[in-house]
Amino acid sequence: MAPLEPWEKVLVNSEAFLATDHGELTCIECHSGTNVADKDSAHAGMVASPSEQPDVYCAECHEEISAAYPSALHSTQAGYWTTLNARNGNVPEDHPALDTMFNNHCATCHTSCGECHVSQPKNVGGGLFTGHVFEKTPPMTRSCTACHGSRVGNEFLGKNEGFPGDVHFREARMNCVKCHEGAELHGMTDATAGAEHRLNGEESPKCTDCHPDVAHGSDGIEMHAQHGGGTTLSCQVCHSVTYTSCDGCHVAVSEKSGNPFFETQATYMTFLIGRNPIQTEERPYKFVPVRHVPVAPTSYQFYGENLLTNFDSLPTWVYTTPHNIQRNTPQNASCEACHTNPEIFLTADKVQAFELNANRKVIVGSAPGPVEMFLAAIPQPAGHADLASDACTACHAEGIRNAPIFPESHIGFTSDGCIGCHKLP
Amino acid sequence: MNKNFLIGTALVLGLFFSSCSAQAEMPAETGTPAETEVEAMPTPSVESGECLACHTDKQRLIDTAKPEEADHEAESKGVG
Repeated sequence: MAPLEPWEKVLVNSEAFLATDHGELTCIECHSGTNVADKDSAHAGMVASPSEQPDVYCAECHEEISAAYPSALHSTQAGYWTTLNARNGNVPEDHPALDTMFNNHCATCHTSCGECHVSQPKNVGGGLFTGHVFEKTPPMTRSCTACHGSRVGNEFLGKNEGFPGDVHFREARMNCVKCHEGAELHGMTDATAGAEHRLNGEESPKCTDCHPDVAHGSDGIEMHAQHGGGTTLSCQVCHSVTYTSCDGCHVAVSEKSGNPFFETQATYMTFLIGRNPIQTEERPYKFVPVRHVPVAPTSYQFYGENLLTNFDSLPTWVYTTPHNIQRNTPQNASCEACHTNPEIFLTADKVQAFELNANRKVIVGSAPGPVEMFLAAIPQPAGHADLASDACTACHAEGIRNAPIFPESHIGFTSDGCIGCHKLP
Repeated sequence: MNKNFLIGTALVLGLFFSSCSAQAEMPAETGTPAETEVEAMPTPSVESGECLACHTDKQRLIDTAKPEEADHEAESKGVG
């Protein structure tokens, strides 16, 4: 997105703006300052971004949203602190250094009401969208993907060379808020009010909200039925294509200018399936696409030694939802395109040695075996449905109660994967 | 005398016809201006007059703009 000229950022379209509800207010009612011709006198005491205080400036008309928004992730940036604290180990002595780092490099992503509804975010230079006219729906490329551009925006709009844009954009010209509705973005849903991370709580938006037949297994597509009707694999495992991963981001303050800056060591294209590191009732998937985030043990070294002492507490290959959904993808072209294809699974050989421990929960032992093996697997006896324990190996490793001992070829398998092949009748 | 009379008459007629042709070239009226549009035009409140006078004037904004500071993270490298 090309930056705006300084004059362009503050040019008001009085004809359009004064015809709107917000145009009924005087400039000074929201921005303070003084109604005089001299610029410096006019701007003395001016409030450039009134909506940084929604309770003061927005609540009179937008009461519910103004009350909820301060607890929304775009406002709190709680997701940053959730991961920072986990990787730091929540060491109190480190907080001053981490606070400074956060304020220099991360806090610019905090978003006020106005930064979605009347101007471009400050993070990308600011500037009014349309002469100060407030937009109920933020313009996608000047608002949403202005910040969420290098990954989500490029994927969704098809800007990654050689990879098509998301079908929802290509075919239906859907914009972000078609799925990410206002209530979610304003922190007004159960999952998003006071959320600690964007992947906490109920999955929202959820593909099956619009594609319910997939969840019920009633859409007649065998692959959906065979893969647990959306419970074994996240939708993106089969329906997303190659996306961006990054390595080694480091942040510092420039000796030359005194400005903060970052440097990312590598950006590359990946499509890798890993184990779901945050498997919950809301996200029951065993396998999900994983994306490498650019954190490194020394990312914040400029601000202090060993600020990420608990680096291994979270994976660096993280649960991801690539925004480049396609009906047909290389991995769903046939059974063999995925089964027995180690290229698309995050196996240990694809993980850097110093990150192996951090990623132990997501690394896949091996690609799934041939489909014939799954189909030929002996089903569980009907009585197994009543067993209190689902630890198959408790009996089948030693042959307790005359249970057949699993063959040597199964040694690399994990016990929670047995029912993938040995289904209940 | 006759010659002068003829020249004078020709000049008067020339002026007459040229004025007629100029009138003919004038654009046809398209009716009265849409009064309702003029009435619907919002007017800035007195309390915002100076603010809007400046913020709707591109040249004045250019002339009074402070030089922008360099991009906060201009020295960054790689994908953010």
